[in-house]
Amino acid sequence: MSTSLVARFGTSVVKKVAMGVTGLLLCGFLVSHLLGNFLIFVGADAFNLYAYTLTSNPLIYLAEAVLLSIFLVHLFMATRLVIENKKARPVPYYTKQPTGRGATVASSTMPYTGLVILIFLVLHLLHFKFGTYFETTVDGVTMRDLYKTVIEYFKTPLNVAWYVIAMGALSMHVSHGFWSAFQSVGFNHPKYTPCIETLSKVFAGLVFLGYSALPIFCFLQGGQS
Amino acid sequence: MSIKKLDGKVPAGPIKEKWDQYKFDMKLVNPANKRKFNIIVLGTGLAGASASATLAELGYNVKAFCIQDSARRAHSIAAQGGVNAAKSYPNDGDSVWRLFYDTVKGGDYRAREANVYRLAQVSNNIIDQCAAQGVPFAREYGGTLSNRSFGGAQVSRTFYARGQTGQQLLLGAYSAMMKEEAKGKITTVTRSEMVELVLVNGKARGVITRDIITGKFEKHSADAVLLCTGGYGNVYFLSTNAMTSNSSAAWKCYKKGAYFANPCYTQIHPTCIPVHGEGQSKLTLMSESLRNDGRVWVPKKKGDERKPADIPEDERDYYLESKYPSFGNLVPRDVASRNAKLVVDEKRGVGATGVAVYLDFRDAIKRDGKDTIKAKYGNLFDMYNRITDADPYSEPMMIYPAVHYTMGGIWVDYNLQTSVPGLFALGEANFSDHGANRLGASALMQGLADGYFVVPYTLGNYLVTEKPEQEKVTVDNKEFDDALKTAEAHFDKLMAVGGKRSVDSFHKALGLLMWEYVGMGRNEAGLKKGIEEIKKLKAEFWKDVKVTGTKEGINVELEKANRVADFLELGELMARDALERVESCGGHFREESQTDENEAKRDDENFCHVAAWEYAGENSDPIRNIEELSFENVALTQRSYK
Amino acid sequence: MSSNNNMSLKLKVWRQENENSKGQMVDYSLEDVSPDSSFLEMIDQLNEELVEKGDEPVAFDHDCREGICGMCSMMINGQAHGPESETTTCQLHMRKFKDGDTIAIEPWRAKAFPVHKDLMVDRSSFDAIIQAGGYVSVNTGNAQDANSILVPKTDADLAMDAAACIGCGACVASCKNASAMLFVSAKVSQLALLPQGKVEAEQRVLNMVDKMDELGFGNCTNEAECEASCPKAISISNIARLNREFLSAAVKSRH
Repeated sequence: MSTSLVARFGTSVVKKVAMGVTGLLLCGFLVSHLLGNFLIFVGADAFNLYAYTLTSNPLIYLAEAVLLSIFLVHLFMATRLVIENKKARPVPYYTKQPTGRGATVASSTMPYTGLVILIFLVLHLLHFKFGTYFETTVDGVTMRDLYKTVIEYFKTPLNVAWYVIAMGALSMHVSHGFWSAFQSVGFNHPKYTPCIETLSKVFAGLVFLGYSALPIFCFLQGGQS
Repeated sequence: MSIKKLDGKVPAGPIKEKWDQYKFDMKLVNPANKRKFNIIVLGTGLAGASASATLAELGYNVKAFCIQDSARRAHSIAAQGGVNAAKSYPNDGDSVWRLFYDTVKGGDYRAREANVYRLAQVSNNIIDQCAAQGVPFAREYGGTLSNRSFGGAQVSRTFYARGQTGQQLLLGAYSAMMKEEAKGKITTVTRSEMVELVLVNGKARGVITRDIITGKFEKHSADAVLLCTGGYGNVYFLSTNAMTSNSSAAWKCYKKGAYFANPCYTQIHPTCIPVHGEGQSKLTLMSESLRNDGRVWVPKKKGDERKPADIPEDERDYYLESKYPSFGNLVPRDVASRNAKLVVDEKRGVGATGVAVYLDFRDAIKRDGKDTIKAKYGNLFDMYNRITDADPYSEPMMIYPAVHYTMGGIWVDYNLQTSVPGLFALGEANFSDHGANRLGASALMQGLADGYFVVPYTLGNYLVTEKPEQEKVTVDNKEFDDALKTAEAHFDKLMAVGGKRSVDSFHKALGLLMWEYVGMGRNEAGLKKGIEEIKKLKAEFWKDVKVTGTKEGINVELEKANRVADFLELGELMARDALERVESCGGHFREESQTDENEAKRDDENFCHVAAWEYAGENSDPIRNIEELSFENVALTQRSYK
Repeated sequence: MSSNNNMSLKLKVWRQENENSKGQMVDYSLEDVSPDSSFLEMIDQLNEELVEKGDEPVAFDHDCREGICGMCSMMINGQAHGPESETTTCQLHMRKFKDGDTIAIEPWRAKAFPVHKDLMVDRSSFDAIIQAGGYVSVNTGNAQDANSILVPKTDADLAMDAAACIGCGACVASCKNASAMLFVSAKVSQLALLPQGKVEAEQRVLNMVDKMDELGFGNCTNEAECEASCPKAISISNIARLNREFLSAAVKSRH
């Protein structure tokens, strides 16, 4: 029966593979996004030029569509898993204690950190992508002054705090998600898995430090102007 | 009724050819006809699971019953050490003949020669079969199977899967069962207990069971019934058996005409964790394989209370090594147990209770390193540590003998058929292959031999010869209704006693009586006293037992009461059998019959036979029928492991 | 061993009449518990007292009491088989608790493990999973000489690690998603690692996973609570092996 290949997309294993693969792709996006945003440290013009180059390329729509689909698959699968997993234990325990030898805070809060990230993402898009529109001219080209939007936004300490907290959630999310993705696609090896687990933590740390540095830097910048 | 001389139906011819010739002589069931036969298998241990799977593969319709929530949990799963076979892979001089010889000798010449030879013959097929099923036996670096040595043998013929051989073999047989269950050839009825055997025109045609969850009694009919319900060690309350291991199915068969053979042959295993206190519910075995590297000793001085590490070498008595230089710590179980009792009786026992001996790994760790010992026995050492809170890497283990296995059981002929036509008994439930003492790693071998390679042939022969299917029998037959009423009445009676004492308190009391009078050392006066005491306890039980709850739904107390009622009767029969057998042999040690060196002394003149007890009714003494044993291939000698 | 070390305990035990009734936690107090008793012997003691009073004893599953049959199944203070690693309930000893402790005892909870009564649950779904493919299709009598199948020692050892599963269900009980992946992966791994099992490996993993899903177990989220509470320390590397066996089978299989 060749139909079973389609049917297999509904199995627990494939759902987890979908989570893992989309998660890893999103990690890739995190890296590229972070590297691009680091141009904020270089200066307003460099950052704006980068943003302009990116958004003026017609392929951006395709890229955004792909990114959105990856994200939606991740979100859809996550929702399904949460609902199914709740159903798998209809009567809850009177008391449930972790063993301390398996689950971590990060692993057991994946749906919650995920939810924080989702809310963050919506706000993030509203504040920046669809946020206040300023204009500037770099090398004679008129373009959006995204730098200013960012700086203005991070003048409010509350916004900075929310951003850092959300990055904390993101960092926790990827610290479990990163190595977990390898496990889900079946990659587990006594030699390499410990490296992946370490890499997972290092990656999560860098994501947090890198992304948190941005609002703090902007806040300090904004304070000066 | 008079004493019968039973015929074991051993085929004629030289022992080496008996089984092969007999396989040819037996009649076959046409493949198309096999599906017309329904077979009931009681119990899903190694014997029951292997028989169920094999019979279903052949085409029979099998209904298998187990007391646990899954066929995979039968107590065969707890066997640790290994399974014997005459493969001679290590090239150390083993052969089918040597395995046969060792088993007959190990059983103290009280087994049926032809059965033992057949067992040794098919032992090799068992290893092949299990390996093919994916049983993860231990391997050498070259990828071949690994062997170790066990008690009562001077060759390494034991195949093993860490310390979980029984588990792995059972899971192999269970998976074969599940394969057939998926095909619809086996129906496994779990959490169900056989409470009555149904005979129609003298033939076993079905059973009444009680569903443990609902408490409902059910009728099941078949063309033959296989009894694979294990041993009766739990008569002693404390044993290495599982909590639900019981003798009730066998006992109901006994009461319906199946003879009970050699009930007094019980194996007291030498290496168990000693009793800690009154609340103890069971004893835990430490695999015999430990005796490969562990040295058994006690202080030479009586009442020596020093810590083991403080006792110098020359004040230690490695009594097995000095007494039995050629077998040393690897003497058979009965010999090791009896010697432990001897030193404890001399007040040289160790530990807080003084009822234990040391099993010391100090020298093995010194010789091979801790890592090697850990790789070999790590899980056993961990288990010991969990139970006793002591670390066997740094101090010797304390061990003491405990009831482990019962060589006695339902009498069967060479076909494994009992004295009731159509009722077969396999594995520990029967009596046939181990004589008066079972060697280590032979129980797994026998259970699987019976189920995989013996009964599939002999059952077919029965079906073709006796043609049970020609008498139309269904659960609507009157006999089923009668049996159901009897069973229900028995349970009603238990509920109705309404006394004050818990079921367990009776079971514990019986256990103490059995250990005291029918334990490691037995004598005439003690056995007579034991019988009287058991009778009194039985009367007391029926006057004062308290069973809480109701007949419907889960009622563990009621289940236990049913089993203890049967244990009380069986205990008496064991004592009776021990009293009548005025000789020592294997696990049956009559203090009146010993050599100058306290070894078991047989009386071949008068007791070279099987005692097969026949039920004669509630108020009459059972009849002791006999089957003469003849030894044509192994000479009867005083067993020596010196 | 001395009685002055004996403990008093407060117990909260789940009592439920049958599958359809509603259960609740019931409080008991128990005196004079020996630290050398096993956890189940402590329950025996409670039951003996209940019977003495004419109450119904607590129904619980147990059999071998040496940690191998997989019958015992208690959630002790919110942990499957209690706080000790690599230990079944029957092998847990009271010396791991303190005088005056309160201990909550519940059954395994999962949709696929309905409660029969009190602490007894129905784990027949595990049998159903094995029936879906947890075997090698070799009939009795078809086997070749055992040494004609060579198995590298490392593979045999890994297969044995996986085969050590006792089917107790602690993995399901401790998993926050009530997933049976560790159980299924242990059997899939054992047979996938051995040449004997390779022949049917593709169909096996596909069918067993399908059956597991169908029975209502949750999805694995790689938290490793199963491994941590497994009395036989079955590794989640088996789950990864299942995942890769499954993916490759889903792509390659002709079915």
